[in-house]
Amino acid sequence: MKKILVADDEMSIRLLYSEELKEEGYEVYQAANGREALEVVDKIPLDLVILDIKMPEMDGIEALRQIKEKRPDLPVILSTAYGEYKQDFATWASDEYLVKSSDLEDLKAVVKRYLKE
Amino acid sequence: MAGERAAFLTQMVEVLTSTVSFGERLNNMVHLLARNLKVDLALYFGLDKARETLLLNVSSQGPVPPHLRLEFPLGQGLVGETARTRKSAIVHRQQPGVSAANASLEKLNPAYQTLAAFPVADDNFLYGVLILVDRAERSLTAAERQGVQLTCLMLAAALRQAIVQEEAKKRIAELSVLFEVGKALTSTVELDELLERIVSTTAKVITARGAALHIINAVTGELRVSSRYGQIPMECPALPQIPPSAAATEPPYYEGESTDAAGHTHYCLAVPLTFKGQLTGTLGVYDKFNPNGEYLPFDPENRQLLFTMAGVIVNAIENALTYQQVEDLAEKNERMVRNLTALQEISQVMLTSVQEERLQEIILQGLTQDHGLGFDRAVVLMVDEAAQTLTGAKGACRSAATGDLPNLTALQVPPPEMIPVTDWEIPLRVDQGPLALAVLRKAAYHHHQTVKEPGVPPALEGKYVAQEFFVVPLVVKDRATGVLLVDNQASGRPLEPERLDALQMFATQAALVLENAHLYFTIETNNRELLLIRERMLESDRLAALSSLASGMAHEIRNPLVSIGGFARRIAKLVEPNSPLRGYVEVIQEEVTRLEKLLREILDFTGENLSYYGDHELAKLIEDTLILVQRDLDANKIKIAREFAQLPRLHCDDRQMKQVFYNLFQNAIQAMPHGGTLSIRTFPVERPDGLYAAASIADTGSGIPMEVLHNIFNPFFSTKDYGTGLGLAIAQRIISRHYGQIEVNNEIGKGVTFIVTLPVAKYCLVKDVGQGAVPASVLRAPKGGR
Repeated sequence: MKKILVADDEMSIRLLYSEELKEEGYEVYQAANGREALEVVDKIPLDLVILDIKMPEMDGIEALRQIKEKRPDLPVILSTAYGEYKQDFATWASDEYLVKSSDLEDLKAVVKRYLKE
Repeated sequence: MAGERAAFLTQMVEVLTSTVSFGERLNNMVHLLARNLKVDLALYFGLDKARETLLLNVSSQGPVPPHLRLEFPLGQGLVGETARTRKSAIVHRQQPGVSAANASLEKLNPAYQTLAAFPVADDNFLYGVLILVDRAERSLTAAERQGVQLTCLMLAAALRQAIVQEEAKKRIAELSVLFEVGKALTSTVELDELLERIVSTTAKVITARGAALHIINAVTGELRVSSRYGQIPMECPALPQIPPSAAATEPPYYEGESTDAAGHTHYCLAVPLTFKGQLTGTLGVYDKFNPNGEYLPFDPENRQLLFTMAGVIVNAIENALTYQQVEDLAEKNERMVRNLTALQEISQVMLTSVQEERLQEIILQGLTQDHGLGFDRAVVLMVDEAAQTLTGAKGACRSAATGDLPNLTALQVPPPEMIPVTDWEIPLRVDQGPLALAVLRKAAYHHHQTVKEPGVPPALEGKYVAQEFFVVPLVVKDRATGVLLVDNQASGRPLEPERLDALQMFATQAALVLENAHLYFTIETNNRELLLIRERMLESDRLAALSSLASGMAHEIRNPLVSIGGFARRIAKLVEPNSPLRGYVEVIQEEVTRLEKLLREILDFTGENLSYYGDHELAKLIEDTLILVQRDLDANKIKIAREFAQLPRLHCDDRQMKQVFYNLFQNAIQAMPHGGTLSIRTFPVERPDGLYAAASIADTGSGIPMEVLHNIFNPFFSTKDYGTGLGLAIAQRIISRHYGQIEVNNEIGKGVTFIVTLPVAKYCLVKDVGQGAVPASVLRAPKGGR
């Protein structure tokens, strides 16, 4: 079973994403900020990470940088309320950049594309 | 005997004291003497004024005919000898030498034998000699001799008295002449009149036919003034050259005579007039005449009188000349005061305005009005530094219409008769006549036809005609900014050189106020521009603040919305298809979707996206945007009509600008669901503050209903079922961020035209990419302006 980490400081978002992705047959881990996300990356052989950008303690951009240092092969999807970070080239290291939407079909389609057998 | 003597003396005293004239008394005494002494002849020889000759004045035989007017030089003959020795003597013809020495006396008495001579003298003077002539050889008794000597004494006394009287009379006459002259001289201070009086009085006093007075400048030899009276014979010099005096003690004078064709002799006498300073002159009289009209030579008395008069006249003339100078100065002064007053008034009026055009009008008023400088015509020309030309600004003619108004009011009335001069253009080169020269040399010119220099500049051929004109430069800080051109062509009055002084003073003032106006204008323009920039910056700041607030809120809302919407979708999956809950959940989903869309638009609107400014072509922006809507245009069967003008590039954010056109095109497409024409036109717009590029986007739809027209630019106002209504509001916001305008022309039933007007790359605020919405203080250098 493919392992996905959802890192977002909003508990409701984590819950929503987890429920939806579990339904799709993935094993979902959660983190409330960048630092927690890195801990999970260290412990668990993840297949994909969904990262929020604005988070306390460590933001998604820093977490992205460190994840890509540790595991360049691990796909990271940035999922954020802010469109403008797309122009910040620190975000270009991510594999996808999605603006959050209540309709998760796009997100699920992207995840599926990366985790195809 | 003694009785006879007493009788004789008594008679003598009677004669002597009688009231008859002196000549008569002399005659009587000589006659009485001859009778009493019983001699044939008694003669009186008078010594002339020169005291050199003795002339026969009186004879006991009656009046002396001219051919018998005998004369003896002092020391010659018995007469001359007696006068020299002052001693009486009796000689007889037989005595040696007597006959030869006194031969001329034979004319009177050829047979004379005895001559007795007695000096007529007092203690000081010898007046003459008394001679007694007799045919007999005789002598005189002591008594007779005593009687004659007594008579001689009495004669001397009488002569002396007569001389004194004569002198007194002469003095009185002279004094009265001087009085006459003085009266003439003091009666007027007008030089011309004074000179006339002087020459006429001189001629009358000396009883001359004519008189002439000349005053010349001794340095230049130029004739200063002259005056003539009566007849001046052609043969005599009008302005006699007075030779230096023969003797140092004697003042110089000129005396001459000449004979005319008819054989008449004319006489001339002239004395110098010696003034203080550089002036010199002559006073001459011509042709003295006697009561019979005969011309006579002038005598020393006349000369003396002329000298005396000359002395008096010089003073009077000097006074008159001084007076004239003072009067000239006073007149000049008065003119200056008048000019200064006018100038002061004009400058007062000039201070009421800082507008260049208005000031030019006031200047023309000052130049052409009667209370001003009163020229017939005046033109203000200004230097165009960039084109290196002198260009007509304003011109006016003199008008009498404002004559009754008080000065200050009159000056404020615009000149009624303006001359069109704006097509006057004179290149600033030395070969372009005095107007260009006035600027180039910063010098004033007085042109009149007699001057050989070129007058009206070639560039004004056919536009300006004047025989005489003044042109003065307007100089400020050693820089000529223009010229004033004035003339009196209409009235033909000459331009007096001192008017040029007043004009130059005026020009100095005018140049200053015009320069001030120019500076004021520059300051005002700069100030306006600064205010505009400040306003834009403030606007930017406000927008930035608003944007960051809105953007922050939008982000805060987005996360909960995602949760709400996401969970609603999850609930929807769990709810039975027939359950009423399904409808509720769908409402939640739809509303969240709507909110999310609104959120996206708000974030666009508040400038979430960074601006990327660059220089772009309006037509290219439009074409790029058309590609985006091509599918919709085709779907609605809409044709495109393009009309693009050549325009300078815009300094703008191309993405935002495309957003504007995208929104406008979308509106147009929605307004033409059943086909139509989308007309797109670009064109330039000239405005006082610069060049603008405009685009009009017109549809052939049904137009915007009147009741909603005023709301179309309001955010969140929409008549459509879809969209947020932010389309036009966003467009307007973007356009105003670019310092442009968006207008709408709405024709119900025919369609709507939106016109977007944008400034051509000028004063655009450049947003620095790194600083987000904060406006950079960097100003683009304007193109082609200052």
